[in-house]
Amino acid sequence: MGATASQLGKDLLSEYQELTFLTKQEILLAHKRFTELLTREERDLNLNTRVPMARILTLPELKSNPFRKRICYVFSTSEQKDGSLTFEDFLDLLSAFSDSATLEIKSHYAFRIFDFDDDGTLDRGDLEKLVNCLTGETDDTQLTPDEMRQLINNILEESDIDKDGTVNLSEFQHVISRSPDFVSSFKIVL
Amino acid sequence: MSTVSEPLVGSSRSLSAAKRHKSVRKNSRRVYSAYQDHQHGSSDDEDKDEDRVDSNDPEEMFQNIQYQKEIIANIRTRPWPMRRKLKVLKQAREIVLRYEGQLTRTRGYQTAGADLLKKLSRGLYNIVVMFVPWEVRIKKIESHFGSGVASYFIFLRWLFGINIVLTIMTGAFIVLPELLAGAPFGTTRSKTIPKEHLASAQDLDTIWSLGGYLQYSVLFYGYYGRVRKIGSAGYRLPLAYFLVGMAVFAYSFIILLRKMAKNSRLSLASASDENFTFCWRVFCAWDYLIGNPEAAESKGAAIVNNIREAIVEEQEKKKDTSLAVLISLRILANILVLLFLAGSIYIIYFVVDRSQKLEQEKPELTLWEKNEVSVVVSLITMIAPSAFELVAQLEMYHPRTSLRFQLARVLVLYLGNLYSLIIALLDKVNSMSSAVQVSAGNWTDSSSFLATISQPGVDSASTLVSEISSSGHHNSTRTTIATMLDVTNSSRSSSASVSNQTALFEKNTRSQQDQCWETYVGQEMLKLSIIDMIFTVASILLIDFIRGLVVRYLSDCCCWDLESKFPEYGEFKIAENVLHLIYNQGMIWMGAFFSPCLPAFNVFKLIGLMYLRSWAVLTCNVPHQQVFRASRSNNFYLAMLLFMLFLCMLPTIFAIVRYRPSQHCGPFSGQDKIYDIISETVATDFPLWFSKVMSYVTSPVVVLPALLLLFMLIYYLQAIARSLKFTNNQLRMQLQTARTEDKKKVFQMAAARLHAPESAADNKPDQQESDITSQEASVHTPSPRRNGSVTNFQSPVHRGNSIRTITQSASGADLNRGSTAGSVRSPPVTILPKHRVEHTPSRPTPFLGGPSGTCRSKSFHHMAYIPPSHYSDIHSDPLYRKTIRPLHPVEAAGIITAQSYGGRRGHTTRYVIVNEHEPRKKLLRSATRIPRHYLMEEPAEILELYPRNIRRYMPRTTHHQPHPHRSHSSQQHLSEEDEEEEQGKGRRRVPLGKAHRPHSLSDLHQPAHFYIGDCVESHVTPAKDSHAAQGRYGGHEEDEEEDGAGESGWKDSELRSRSQASVRAADPLLVRTRHHMHSPGRQCQTPARTRNMESYVRSKTRVKLETPLTESDSASVASSSDQQNSSTDQYIQVIHNKERYLKSDTTRQGKLGKKKSKTNFELNSTESNDLVCSNV
Repeated sequence: MGATASQLGKDLLSEYQELTFLTKQEILLAHKRFTELLTREERDLNLNTRVPMARILTLPELKSNPFRKRICYVFSTSEQKDGSLTFEDFLDLLSAFSDSATLEIKSHYAFRIFDFDDDGTLDRGDLEKLVNCLTGETDDTQLTPDEMRQLINNILEESDIDKDGTVNLSEFQHVISRSPDFVSSFKIVL
Repeated sequence: MSTVSEPLVGSSRSLSAAKRHKSVRKNSRRVYSAYQDHQHGSSDDEDKDEDRVDSNDPEEMFQNIQYQKEIIANIRTRPWPMRRKLKVLKQAREIVLRYEGQLTRTRGYQTAGADLLKKLSRGLYNIVVMFVPWEVRIKKIESHFGSGVASYFIFLRWLFGINIVLTIMTGAFIVLPELLAGAPFGTTRSKTIPKEHLASAQDLDTIWSLGGYLQYSVLFYGYYGRVRKIGSAGYRLPLAYFLVGMAVFAYSFIILLRKMAKNSRLSLASASDENFTFCWRVFCAWDYLIGNPEAAESKGAAIVNNIREAIVEEQEKKKDTSLAVLISLRILANILVLLFLAGSIYIIYFVVDRSQKLEQEKPELTLWEKNEVSVVVSLITMIAPSAFELVAQLEMYHPRTSLRFQLARVLVLYLGNLYSLIIALLDKVNSMSSAVQVSAGNWTDSSSFLATISQPGVDSASTLVSEISSSGHHNSTRTTIATMLDVTNSSRSSSASVSNQTALFEKNTRSQQDQCWETYVGQEMLKLSIIDMIFTVASILLIDFIRGLVVRYLSDCCCWDLESKFPEYGEFKIAENVLHLIYNQGMIWMGAFFSPCLPAFNVFKLIGLMYLRSWAVLTCNVPHQQVFRASRSNNFYLAMLLFMLFLCMLPTIFAIVRYRPSQHCGPFSGQDKIYDIISETVATDFPLWFSKVMSYVTSPVVVLPALLLLFMLIYYLQAIARSLKFTNNQLRMQLQTARTEDKKKVFQMAAARLHAPESAADNKPDQQESDITSQEASVHTPSPRRNGSVTNFQSPVHRGNSIRTITQSASGADLNRGSTAGSVRSPPVTILPKHRVEHTPSRPTPFLGGPSGTCRSKSFHHMAYIPPSHYSDIHSDPLYRKTIRPLHPVEAAGIITAQSYGGRRGHTTRYVIVNEHEPRKKLLRSATRIPRHYLMEEPAEILELYPRNIRRYMPRTTHHQPHPHRSHSSQQHLSEEDEEEEQGKGRRRVPLGKAHRPHSLSDLHQPAHFYIGDCVESHVTPAKDSHAAQGRYGGHEEDEEEDGAGESGWKDSELRSRSQASVRAADPLLVRTRHHMHSPGRQCQTPARTRNMESYVRSKTRVKLETPLTESDSASVASSSDQQNSSTDQYIQVIHNKERYLKSDTTRQGKLGKKKSKTNFELNSTESNDLVCSNV
């Protein structure tokens, strides 16, 4: 623990605390978990090393999440858009999914996670992918095209206020803010 | 509006105000631009610059510091990547420290304390959760089978809680005192097993039927002593027995009602938000905490269930079948159900009857005969629900309705069962107590069953020796015991049988003891409960477990698919199971008074049921096809439970009030009525005054007014409730209106969001401020900055460009030649002559200034219309863009704005422009003045222009089409019409500008306007042309520089962005469409093409546009620095580009456009170089 703390640096640590919704312990734990993902030689470089998505996804917290890849893509600052995460990206992820993160930030990231094609709106394609992610790809769980169409129609009917056939961020946040259990379920705890 | 006009005035005050306003905007922008920034490289450096830009005057500084503090406080709420946050935080701190010196750290103990408190409460909560029984188990089930199934277990747990309390009540106040202080077993008559039964008291058979030792134990009413005070402390057991018996009901009522009230409050709160069901089910479905693959799987299954359920509900709304068939089917189903109910009630009554007969006829009953009643009742309760379910399929109700029906029917069945049982039992009790009258001699054997029994009674004289001989007691002792029917029987035959008096007495006492009817009822209830438990376990094991095993392991060696066809896996039927619980609880309530240990037994039963059920559900049940919302059904269950409680309480109360307690057993023996214990206690144990008071209180003088008062109170409360309901409705309506307002707001926000990025390519994905002023602000402020500054200048040029393309038609031959020649140098050659051609006739120039001037000045009016226009029609993006365009010349002309509040630019550019704008204004004025008199001179020319315009683009299109001109006249018409439509959409602002006054949108589509619009466009553009020409001749360089710089910068950037490999292929098309959107040159294109683009822009520009533009921005800034040198040249170059561009569009109409335009551009760039050369 002392080693990791020294590795992180006191200033940096306090800055991270300032910048995220995480406590010191959580940041240190996150750091520990993150360094466990690094290979031996990468460990020396540390903070700016990117951990490829495949390795990030081995975390049990993300392993069974249907949106795990999207989460990585959204929080990755990688130029190649390969979903690899630096430690700071990882902290961002944990901060957004932490207990104390605000509804606004949670809904913002949720929106981006659901926005599969990164075009800033949830269109029918996004919604379909989203539902498929939730239901899984197997035949018995997946919705029939008919059901899917109806579901998406209903979703748009409810949330698409400006009737442009897509759900944008403000509409999404509007819907989400009224949900009683979004904040409590949009959480990842290491 | 105001922000625009103020800068026009040019006062420094408004300037600073605008700046401040801008900094606010910047602030909000920050938050929302992140999404974009994040994706397309961060604009940190710009931000950095920005933050340091304005810090001269103290007010500004103060605001800046405030702002920076705000940043520091809220930085974690920004959805930025960490690096950016770090940077911003650092610089914000730096600024704050630098300007404020010492920043007071207010956070500290306060936050630490809050954190600690939060942690503590979290820990406490965790501990509390840990102690809730079966929480994990229920969570597991919930995650696997959804909230519906879980609701069963939650309900079970709640019942378990109730039973615990009941057990404690009875155990602590009745059973324990009796065991500790009461007379020990065998001391009194009611506590000893009769001698002849002693032998068989330990037989399994006897124990099984709750006789023998069990019968003479604390389990049942009969065991409790009648001594008023027991033990050294003088515990009043009989009183306690009575009070606890009543308290059981009271507690159940209270807890039920409280729970229901709570539930209804919850459901009321959630009812208003019902409209987002689908969104929530999809957006908020996943629980991100789930880390266990199995849990994830079951959560996925639950989500699928949930979604399916919602879809089914939605589908059910739409489904309709023929009404007649449906109604007849439903009637049939109801008849079937009624028949079933009647049958079950009859069977139960019959069975009870038969068991009574058998008891009299046979000395030794078989196991079946003893348990016949409970077995039959349990069987019915098991089978009937399934039958009802089959019947319910006939009805084709909505699943939820059918569930309700099912529940109601099953409830009626269960109630019927319990009632027929209890009535039969009470009948027996009745006959027992009526034996008193029987022995008195006046028997009214009105009851048919006595009559039927009398027959066997006659011949039983010989056979049933022991029974009959014992009945001789009737003669000797006129005891008031409640005797069995055999007593009455024997009383008939007693005349025939004469026997020994001593033996008779002995037997007499035994029969008296035997006939403790309270114990009998308690026994029956307990027996029923036990049998029910056995049946439940058996059904779980057989129907669910064995079936599951068979289905799983035999499906391979069976000819059909066991898992999906016939046996399948058992479904967990929530409704039946919940009702079963209710039924079970009903039995407990019914028997609790007569058997104090029944709640304790039920506790064990429920524990067993919990484990068995949850195990069965998890191992061998599949989730019900339609899972229903637990919150909704919960109150329904509770309502049924309440109903059950009430109905189960009735028989007990009835028995207490109606019948005499048994004389030789139980705490109330010797009393006339059970409740006499109260009055007796009051009379004997309380001081005299108390009993006096009681007698007063219970006298009609007090009771009647009290009743009246109660009625009044009820009425009053009801009135209040009604008024509250009314207010509630009103509030709900208010809420709904507020909600619609809310929706409108979001709508506006969305509108603003849609427009903002397009109007000025601002990066905001979202604008929170949705009021009109901010809308206007968003219209104004973004435009001058970044790309806004670019678009300003680009638009006139486009017009110039487009006009030139129109004029090309005049010199179409040239152009054609030029383009066909395809030589690199030829385009400039073609342009220049063409310009000359245009200018020499002195026709275009006259129009130039005049209409363009009007157009510019008019553009102010548009500003006023912008808000309404996009409220009414959000999709008119092109309109919006159009409307914004004319504004820019104005700003460019007289308003500092562009660079001065476009803080994104460096200091240098700002100053340059500030310097520039003055001469610019003059220039424009001069430009407007000159043409005016031309306009006066030649108004006819305008009219003449209309046909020309049309004609011009007709040839234009045909020119580049492979087909000859004339053959396409019809197509031309079509295309014109198409164009008109487009114009109608795209040009709305043009007529507005022309007319000097507000026009309604309705007359925008008129063809006249189209022409006028064209005209105006053409007017504007020649103006530019003339400028260009003048510029070329070295006349007004600064103005040209401005335009040219902007344009060239923009162009440059465009080129650059295109040359970048990373830019998507779609971008060129996009940028191009932007040109076409507002350039009249669009007319020259084939309609199909424009359509294409238009639609493309509609769909995608909103977001994607921003991509190239942000990039181009920096480029434009960069290029603006060297504008002094190259502007004019570039201007020409740009025009050239444009031309080529359009041509390329038209020549290579269609799909290939994207790639080719790219190459085209490369070509152009080389051309432009040449051009520069040629020009210089």
